[in-house]
Amino acid sequence: MKRTLTYVLVSFLFLFLGIHLSAQAQNRVITGKVANDKNEPLVGASVVVKNRPSTGTTTSGSGTFSLTVSSTDDSLVISAIGYGRQTIAIANDLQVRLSTTSSPMEQVVVIGYGTQKRADLTAPITTVNTENMLKRTTATPMEALQGSVPGVQVVSAGAPGKSPDVRVRGVGSFNNESPLYVVDGMFVNDISFLNPNDIAEMSVLKDASGAAIYGVRAANGVVLITTKKGTLNMRTKVTYNGYVGFQTPTHRLKMANGKEYLAFSLGRQSAADSGTALLSSQKFGGSGLNPTTSTDWYDKLLRSKALITNNGIDLQGGSDKVTYSAGINYTYQNGIMEAQNSFKRYNIRLQMEAKAYSWLKVGFTAHLNNSTTFNAASNAFSQAYTASPLFPVYDSANTNAYPIKFASGAVIGRNDDANPVATAYYNYDRVKAFQVLPTIYAEAGFWNNKITFRTQLSQLYSSLSDIQFTPRYNLGPGANDNAVTHLNSTQERNTNYIVDNLLTYRDGKGPHHWTLLLGQSTREDRWRKTSVSADGVPSIEESWYVSQGTVTYPPTEDGTRNANISYFTRGTYDFDNKYLLTATFRADGSSKYQTKWGYFPSVGLGWVLSREDFMKDQKLFDFLKLRGSWGKLGNDGVAPNAGYAIVNQGNNFSAIFGSTAGANGQYVPGYTINRFFTQLSWEVVTEWDGGIDFEVLNRRLKGSVDYYNRKTKGTALNAPLPFSYGSLYGNWADMVNSGFDVVLNWSDKIGKLGYQIGGNFSTVKNKVTSLGNTPRITSGFPEWTAEFPNRSVVGQPINYFYGYQFIGVYQTQEEIDKDDIAKKYNQTAATKIVPGFPKYKDQNGNGVLDEGDRVNMGSYIPKITYGFNLGLDYKNFDLSIAFQGVAGNKILNLNRGKLYKASTSLNIDEKFANGLWTGPGSTNSYPSAYALGQGWFKVSNSFFVESGAYLRVQNIQLGYNFNVGKTSPIALRVFATADRPFIFTKYNGFTPEINVNNSFGYSVYGYDANVYPISATYSLGVRATF
Amino acid sequence: MQQYIKIIAWILTISILSGCSKFLDRPQENKGQQTKIDYTNLSNMYQPVSGVYRTASSGSFARWIIVTMINVRSDDSEPGNDDAGQNSIHHFQNDVTVKSYWGVNDMWINLYGVVLAANSALAELDEFGKNIPASDAANTQLLARYRAEVRFFRALAHYYIGRYWGAVPILGLESNNPFNLAGAKKSSIEDVKKYVIAEMDTCIASLEDARPNEAAHMGGVTKYTALTLKAKAAMDLAGNTPSSPYWDIVLDCTNQIINSHKFSLFNDYYNLWKKAGKLSNEALLEFQYSDFGNPTGDIVTSGANPGERWANFFLFQGPQNTRSNVITGSGWMVPADTVVGFLNKRDDSVRMRTTIQYCGINGDPNTYAVTPDGDTVSGNSSGKKYFNGKAYYPIKDMTPGRVDYYGANNNVHMLRYADVLLMNAEAKIRKGQSGDAEINEVRARVKLAPLAGATLDQVLEERHAEFICEWWGERFNDLLRTDNAATELKYLGFQKGTSEYLPIPQAQEDVNSNLK
Repeated sequence: MKRTLTYVLVSFLFLFLGIHLSAQAQNRVITGKVANDKNEPLVGASVVVKNRPSTGTTTSGSGTFSLTVSSTDDSLVISAIGYGRQTIAIANDLQVRLSTTSSPMEQVVVIGYGTQKRADLTAPITTVNTENMLKRTTATPMEALQGSVPGVQVVSAGAPGKSPDVRVRGVGSFNNESPLYVVDGMFVNDISFLNPNDIAEMSVLKDASGAAIYGVRAANGVVLITTKKGTLNMRTKVTYNGYVGFQTPTHRLKMANGKEYLAFSLGRQSAADSGTALLSSQKFGGSGLNPTTSTDWYDKLLRSKALITNNGIDLQGGSDKVTYSAGINYTYQNGIMEAQNSFKRYNIRLQMEAKAYSWLKVGFTAHLNNSTTFNAASNAFSQAYTASPLFPVYDSANTNAYPIKFASGAVIGRNDDANPVATAYYNYDRVKAFQVLPTIYAEAGFWNNKITFRTQLSQLYSSLSDIQFTPRYNLGPGANDNAVTHLNSTQERNTNYIVDNLLTYRDGKGPHHWTLLLGQSTREDRWRKTSVSADGVPSIEESWYVSQGTVTYPPTEDGTRNANISYFTRGTYDFDNKYLLTATFRADGSSKYQTKWGYFPSVGLGWVLSREDFMKDQKLFDFLKLRGSWGKLGNDGVAPNAGYAIVNQGNNFSAIFGSTAGANGQYVPGYTINRFFTQLSWEVVTEWDGGIDFEVLNRRLKGSVDYYNRKTKGTALNAPLPFSYGSLYGNWADMVNSGFDVVLNWSDKIGKLGYQIGGNFSTVKNKVTSLGNTPRITSGFPEWTAEFPNRSVVGQPINYFYGYQFIGVYQTQEEIDKDDIAKKYNQTAATKIVPGFPKYKDQNGNGVLDEGDRVNMGSYIPKITYGFNLGLDYKNFDLSIAFQGVAGNKILNLNRGKLYKASTSLNIDEKFANGLWTGPGSTNSYPSAYALGQGWFKVSNSFFVESGAYLRVQNIQLGYNFNVGKTSPIALRVFATADRPFIFTKYNGFTPEINVNNSFGYSVYGYDANVYPISATYSLGVRATF
Repeated sequence: MQQYIKIIAWILTISILSGCSKFLDRPQENKGQQTKIDYTNLSNMYQPVSGVYRTASSGSFARWIIVTMINVRSDDSEPGNDDAGQNSIHHFQNDVTVKSYWGVNDMWINLYGVVLAANSALAELDEFGKNIPASDAANTQLLARYRAEVRFFRALAHYYIGRYWGAVPILGLESNNPFNLAGAKKSSIEDVKKYVIAEMDTCIASLEDARPNEAAHMGGVTKYTALTLKAKAAMDLAGNTPSSPYWDIVLDCTNQIINSHKFSLFNDYYNLWKKAGKLSNEALLEFQYSDFGNPTGDIVTSGANPGERWANFFLFQGPQNTRSNVITGSGWMVPADTVVGFLNKRDDSVRMRTTIQYCGINGDPNTYAVTPDGDTVSGNSSGKKYFNGKAYYPIKDMTPGRVDYYGANNNVHMLRYADVLLMNAEAKIRKGQSGDAEINEVRARVKLAPLAGATLDQVLEERHAEFICEWWGERFNDLLRTDNAATELKYLGFQKGTSEYLPIPQAQEDVNSNLK
């Protein structure tokens, strides 16, 4: 047996050697080295034989390669992502320099379900410069893109771990503005779980030609992310990336201090306010109406410095058959609230791909995340905004209070004021989450890889456990007493999957090149949430189980399930890389709607003028391309619609009977029916795009200009129902977004000083074109829809702020006596208009302030979003500065607007308090303190509508690059970064970046109810590669 | 080649499997389907009715802002805060500031919420009805009764909406189609009241002939509740005209109630408002709440859901008390000084002791007062001297340990027998008969000497005293229907012709131009 085996083995060996030797006879091995223009070795560059793309290799960790070529081969094609392609004659010991200044048009760009050369694109696809992205010390990748991608507006959020809002080309839908994120083929709603370091490539698909292949998910644009992978025959490359820094609150809104508040509150002339002042003096110091207490609640709640750190190590490599990469990353961000408030995350990324056979590749990638978030008491900041500064944090005389002697606002008559520090202190809210995102795939290539078939299963499993524990406490008189501990425990899980099957055919003949893609995709998303709570649970963490206490509320559960099936195809054709055509078609079926199927075609055309003969002799344009595209896109960010009457049952819909002197009464099972429903169909966007890409002046100036026009038909939105707080969800509106996306980059050198200036801007014009049979739709921030409504009518932007135009302040009694509106009002009003009262414009000139005087007070959609950056490099130093901003939008300052419903004097910001009208001529922009409390001021008016324009210095980074060691040197970069250090804005709030509010079950934009201070981050970092 | 065949086979298999239509065609998760309700199970027929009771009692009539909106249109109560909207309404302002005030819109929406819920429930009862065989007399009768209970609440909501806005739309079953809502047209003030009377005529025949605390669902609406509402609507229509035939309706309805001999006044006026007074023989309609006798956990209050702590009827009227963590609130709806003067002048000590509770001495925040039940209540920074004793719930009555919902486990009284007696007396006096027996029954309970040959003024004064600081606007309505508002409320700014009704909320006009 053994002998037979040996024989066989030896025979095989001979056979193998024989083949090898025979090949040796005709072939030779060449070696070489590929470097960049700074003569640093380029790792992973592709080296292939011209006209024989199947023969090739990639460069090793030191930039070297060796390749067996045949005697008939004459040249090699050398390329690397981000560098120009070079074709070079075969010779021994080749030294190749790839230059970044060569045309980026040769870059391969990741597009939907495939790749394409940049020059061949018919769509405005922006590839993100991942290098620049890493300069920003943000915990989430999208925040790092702020201001750098034209047509993409990023609105960052303040709280640790919270994702920013992202809008591509304006607002196409009411439901969900977020683009689709595709991470290694998996659809996700948000990529804040990714570490920016894991991202190898990122493309933003903005128009129909690029995005329509994603059909129903594409209306808001698509962001494609490919994570880092190793390449074949690559020496192991190790990268360490780390920074440590601190966040400090910046542009903090100052609230009125004790004195300022006192002046304002006494100015309201109410008994309660003078009572508060007297009590504050009596209890906490001062005399009479001059209390001395002045608590700066924000100061008490904020940390001056909160740690932020990120450390990651990354490995990439590959043998001749297997490539791999692995990364591990740790992020810690302390919150800026002086409380248990932080975010901690571990990321692990694993990737492996094996060439199982010459025609078959199999591989997987997996992302694992583990995070722990301590959520701060979100209401503490809003309490700090409104709480009176006339009571202190602690009060030893507060006898009932335990365990901590916090002061109670009630003792000075401020029953509605919570003690924000106490709120923060007694809050415990810990969210532990993990997520696994595994993807496995197999890709078979046939007919010299002209046909490939890929099948991929992508999954997302995530789970979250949220423990909220409230200890026993008492805050003293007039305040909440929590006599027993309370535990709330929530479990959430997501189980999503996508199965993709892709058949790609790529071929060409002479100057003709074509590709064809056929694909099929099946997707299911499931979410389930279970919440249980109990009282009287012991206060040690190990006992935080509901079975340790008394279960007093029934558990609640919720869940969703959405399923999709899609079929899609794409064909591209080009003639001599000069005339380009892309056509796509996708059919999507969704379980969310009553109309199940939608069909999304697109066509894109391109003409590379610079390749035409008549352009040959001109010197100006190095590259010039005209593009045009048309297509339809769908949006399934629309909330699922039941399409049937819903039964609400359970205790909350059952009445009590028999609640008498002697009995507690009991539920008699009941139900209610919500029968206000509609049949929902697709929201469809039809988009036109025309663009031009150019490179001029020796490729020093590059840019592109696009005009787009997006018509959204059947926008699904909640139209408020008369007689009800409810609304009816349906395809009610049509609207158009149009505008320009412009990007320009200039780079050059002056001696040793390299510099680069780049800028981009996009404009958006939003207009409602139809509301069906409804004359108008009014909406607004829930609970404030009566005071601060917005409305939509045909011909105006969607949801513009609606109300009276504030035009100044009545200065004197004579002015009032001469004013028709004031005279008329004073005839019947109990509280007359007196000097210091606001003045509204009588738009219809009828002498009475009535509903006809209400006007468009502005829209929350910025007319223009822009960013620009400046980069300098000199020897080993580099410096970059990035700016970004928006203009032409309005914000409704709901924090100031809170005064409307307040029945007592809430605190106000310092500027407001000091700006109040105090006498004739004092100011024309703020009413008097007295007027603030009166009905005349409490109509929807433009006093609260402010410009949301801002310019922010987003990022400044100074870096120094050097090598350590001679043989296989370690490339090091050390850098100092300042993130968001400055902002220039006139807006009277914490930040003019207003996040969408979804907490009421539908999206509300432009109303500022944010009281979370924004912080700047200053950090030092190091990156090492070897 | 075999590979290709295999691959094609795979693609086909996967496509066909995933293309299964069931995959896309499934109902939404966790959203109960109306079509899955088993209408053949007639034992569930009361469920939609119970849903209407809950809608009416939680988040509607007894919701804090609605109670406030009704109450401030009177000389009995002051807002007790400097909310401009409430103060404007207290002063009968009727301009753009009141039109935009959220409370006006909130009251409109939540009272119409009862109407919409009732119409929805009636459609449900029709579905059950389809499964009742003609021979099944018992269930046919039950169905009629359940429909009548639901229609009572629909009428009750219309009655109060009409009282506060005058001419308003009447929403019938057509409101079950949301597309009909924006076109709803107003009915005249009289037509709304006539509608209530007609509805009650239909209901009375089908409702239980029982005192509410003896009803099949204890505390539910019975024939007598409907008769009371009919009498009230008729009394409004009768106005100040003694010859109006509507006085006959008032008399007839109240006589039926009195002559049933099922009702009597609860003997202790002070404790009527406490635990002992829950669902007494005086109750014609009470909103029932419960904390189930537990110190924490499940609770039903006047808030739309248990979490809506602020909407609790008792909390916002509670004193701003720094002496107790339990009896404390926002100190709104403060009895006016005129109330104290009025009751003092009448020597009405029982009603005084019941209605007027003190916040310290003259409201001084450094002092405290002791209630008749022994609870201490401090003064407050605004110097408010009183709080409404009818909304005071003593610690001794509360479930031990229940500290987070002041007033938990007390009911809210809406229609009571004293009103029936006084309406009866008034109708008799208007018609030239003697109302002494009825008026004296009410007076005797509060230890007042009997009257002989009581006059219209006396019965109206008795109504004022009996319902003083209660929440359903009897005082203002009495002034309005007797045409006394312009004189009595002039000092607050009442002007005849403009101050009778609240303006229709701007937000509602904006979505339905028929309301202008």
